[in-house]
Amino acid sequence: MEESSGLSSMKFFSDQHLSYADILLPHEARARIEVSVLNLLRILNSPDPAISDLSLINRKRSNSCINKGILTDVSYIFLSTSFTKSSLTNAKTAKAFVRVWKVMEICFQILLQEKRVTQRELFYKLLCDSPDYFSSQIEVNRSVQDVVALLRCSRYSLGIMASSRGLVAGRLFLQEPGKEAVDCSACGSSGFAITGDLNLLDNTIMRTDARYIIIVEKHAIFHRLVEDRVFNHIPCVFITAKGYPDIATRFFLHRMSTTFPDLPILVLVDWNPAGLAILCTFKFGSIGMGLEAYRYACNVKWIGLRGDDLNLIPEESLVPLKPKDSQIAKSLLSSKILQENYIEELSLMVQTGKRAEIEALYCHGYNYLGKYIATKIVQGKYI
Amino acid sequence: MENNAPVPKLLLQLISSAFQRCRLAEDLCRLSVLLDQSTERDPPITCISIADTGIGCNLEEFQNLRCPREFNGAKIWDGLLSVKTTCFTDDEVYYYHINLDEYIANKRLKRQPSQAKNGAKFSGTEVSLSVFGSMDVLVAPIIGFFQKIIVLQILNVTLDLMVKQGTSPGNQTQYVFAVNADKTPCFTASNLERLKSGLEDYVLRHANCLDTMCDYCFSDREHLKVGSGTVCQEDKHKRVGGTMEVVIVISDLLESTQHCSRSCNGKTEVLYFDNFLPSPVPHLALSALKKIDWKKYGLILANVNDQDGHVFLEWDNFPSYVQIQIALHWYHNQYPTRQKNGPGISLLKKGIKNALDNLKAKHEGFLLSSHSRKICSYVPDLARSIAGLIFSSTDLDFQGDCLSVLGFQTQEVERDTVENYIQRKIVTVIGMNERKPQKDQEAAPFLFFDGESETSFFEDEEVEGEYYSSSLE
Repeated sequence: MEESSGLSSMKFFSDQHLSYADILLPHEARARIEVSVLNLLRILNSPDPAISDLSLINRKRSNSCINKGILTDVSYIFLSTSFTKSSLTNAKTAKAFVRVWKVMEICFQILLQEKRVTQRELFYKLLCDSPDYFSSQIEVNRSVQDVVALLRCSRYSLGIMASSRGLVAGRLFLQEPGKEAVDCSACGSSGFAITGDLNLLDNTIMRTDARYIIIVEKHAIFHRLVEDRVFNHIPCVFITAKGYPDIATRFFLHRMSTTFPDLPILVLVDWNPAGLAILCTFKFGSIGMGLEAYRYACNVKWIGLRGDDLNLIPEESLVPLKPKDSQIAKSLLSSKILQENYIEELSLMVQTGKRAEIEALYCHGYNYLGKYIATKIVQGKYI
Repeated sequence: MENNAPVPKLLLQLISSAFQRCRLAEDLCRLSVLLDQSTERDPPITCISIADTGIGCNLEEFQNLRCPREFNGAKIWDGLLSVKTTCFTDDEVYYYHINLDEYIANKRLKRQPSQAKNGAKFSGTEVSLSVFGSMDVLVAPIIGFFQKIIVLQILNVTLDLMVKQGTSPGNQTQYVFAVNADKTPCFTASNLERLKSGLEDYVLRHANCLDTMCDYCFSDREHLKVGSGTVCQEDKHKRVGGTMEVVIVISDLLESTQHCSRSCNGKTEVLYFDNFLPSPVPHLALSALKKIDWKKYGLILANVNDQDGHVFLEWDNFPSYVQIQIALHWYHNQYPTRQKNGPGISLLKKGIKNALDNLKAKHEGFLLSSHSRKICSYVPDLARSIAGLIFSSTDLDFQGDCLSVLGFQTQEVERDTVENYIQRKIVTVIGMNERKPQKDQEAAPFLFFDGESETSFFEDEEVEGEYYSSSLE
C-alpha cells in the first residue's frame, strides 16, 4: 500500500495535518485528565449510555508524514491525524484500554504532587498495583505513549522523565540554574550525564567555543575520543546516546543546535543499517514518539563510517549483514525520507551484504580515530 | 415389571383426558385416582378408578385408545373399560363398557343401563378397569405425572392419588398434589405467569418432590432468576394457530446445598407440555435446543441426554452450584381441537431465545457471552482507577461535577459507593451492547474527538523493524 509521504507540491502546507503533543504545566495536564474522566462519566451515565472509546493518534507508519524543509534545512517526520480506536468492548484492545486508565491514574497523582518519575519507577509502581495488566516495561512504555496520544500532551508533561543515557563532553560549559557552571572538558573520560529533566535542560545556560558538535553512536568510541581529548585538536563537543537516542538527548542536541545554529552536527556511526537508523532518529525524529519527537529533529550530517571508508578497513573486519539489518534497511528504503546519497550508501550495504564497525579503524592504532575525524572535517566529507 | 408397560401408558392417557375435562370446567374440580390391590388373589389384581368432576366426557376420546390384553406372552388385563359419565345438563349418568381390544367401531362400545340423577345437577366421569399384577409399577409414573402437571398451576383442579392394599386402613396412602400456597398466582393470571410461578416452585421443591421449599438449598425465592419468552403462531389456512411459551429458571444454590439429598450435577432438565399436559420432549424441540447459540449466553452445551423424551442438557465448564431448569409449553389457541400440529423448529428456537434474552435483560451481567464475561473481569480494576482519579483530585469543583454527573447528591458519598456504581454501570452497558443486534451496534462515542477522521483498529503489537524504532528507554 502506498504510504502518504507528504511529498506534495504544497510543501509549505505539508504539515498542516500535523498532530502533536503539547508541553503543559502540571495543572494543565491534570485538567486534561479531569476532562477525560468527566467525559467518560457523562457518556456512561447518559440516557443512552456507552463506554467511550479512546481515540489515540495512530502511531503507525501509515500515519506518518514527512516535512521536507524549504526555508530551513531541517526535515522531520510527523504523525498525521488518523486515529486508532481503543475500546473496552473489543477483545483486542480491552486490556490496553484499562492500562491507559491505570497509567492516567498514576500520572494524575504524580502531577498532584508535582513530582517526576522515570518510566522504570512507573513500571515498578504499576507492577505492584496491577500485576495483571503490566508484565513488562514495554507494556508500560506503550501505555504511556497511548496516554500521550490520547491527551496530546508530552510525556514529560505527564510527570514522566526520560531516564537519559546521554553523555556530553568537550568544549562546552553548562550552567544549571543556581549552580556553578560545569566544564564538560574536565569531566573525565565518562563525560557529563545529560539529565532526563527536560525542564532543567531547557533552563541550562550553554557556552562553547567549539566549531563542531560530534555525535558518536557508541559509548566505547565516545570514551576513547574523550580520553584522548580529541576536542583539544578538533574544537568540538562530543555527545553519545549509547545507541538509539532517548528524548532527553535529542532535546539536548536540539537545544544546542538552536543556541549555536552555526555549528555543524556530525554523526559517527557503524556502517550498517542500524547505524543509519540511529542517525536518522537524530535527523528526522521517530514514529513511536512522533507526537513530540518531530520538535527535536536536527540537521545532522553523516561523517562516517561510509562506503568510501571501506578501503581503510581490513577485509576480515567486514562481517555479513544480519537478518535484522536487512529488515531495517528495507524499512529505511521504503520510508522515502532518505536523501539520494544516503540511499546509495544503504544500497551498497545491501549489495555487498557486509557491515563494518567503527572499531575496525583501530587497526591503524588507537589514536587513529581522531585523525580520521579531522581528515573528514578538513575535506568536508560529510553528507 | 416390564410386561406391564402398556398399562402405565394407558393410565396416563386416561388421567390426561380427565385432567383436561377438569381444566375446561369453570368450577373447582377434583381428579382422584384410586389404585386398589387385592391381597387375596395370586397373581394379584389391581382395580383402578380415575374419577373427575370435570365436564362430562364425549366418548370420542376413547376412540383411539389402544391397549393389548397380553404383553410379552403374559395376560395383563381383560381389555375392558367401564365408563360412567354425565354432563351438567344431563338428566342421567350414562354407563358404558368399552372394549379396547375390539377394532370394529360399533362392537367396541356397549351401552349399559343409565342411572337417573333425580334432578341433581352435577357433572363428572369415572373410568375404571382392573389389571393383573402388582400396583407397584403404577404408582411412580402417576406421581411423576402429577408432579409435572402442577407446574402449570391450573388452580381449579386438585389432584389426589389413593393407594390401597387390602382392606386394612393402615395400608392406605393418599398423595395430594396441590399448588404451593405461599406464592400462588390468582385465577386470572395468564398461562405464562402460572408457568413461571409453577417452575419456580418445581425448582424450590426439588421437582415437586417436597411439600415445601427446600431449606437446604434456598433461603428464599430471591436465589432464582427467571426469564420467559412467548411466541405466537397465527391461525393460517385452516391450521389452528398456537402459542409457544418458554420459562427458564436459573438457581444460584447456596453453599449448603451439598448437604441436600438432591444433587443436580449441573444438568438441566427440560420439561415439555403439550396443550396443558406433560409430554415427552418432541424431536423438533430437541433439535431446537441443540441449535441454540448457547455460547452467546456463556454456556457450552456438552451433551443432550434423551431417554424416551425425558431430556437432560449437560454443560461444559459449568459451576455445579448453578442449576438451570427449562419448561416449554405449546398449546393451541383453540381448544379442544382435532388438530394435533406441534410447533415448528423456528418457533421453538425463538421462544427459547426470547426467554434467554429476557433473563439476560433482567439480570445485569448474567448469561453474558464468554467474550463479555472476559471484558467484565476487567471492569472492577477500571472502576477502581476511575474512582481513584475522582477521589484523589484536590479540585472540589471537579469532584462535585463527577458526582453530580453520576447522580450523587452530596459530597459526602463514599469512594466505594461511587466505584461500585461505576462498575455496575459499565457492566450494564456491556450487557446492553450484547443484546443489541449486531447491525445496531453503533460505534461508542470517542472520549475527545468525534471520530470523523479515518479510524483503524488498534494493533497491539508494534511491527518489528518498522522504520527505525524510537528509543523507549
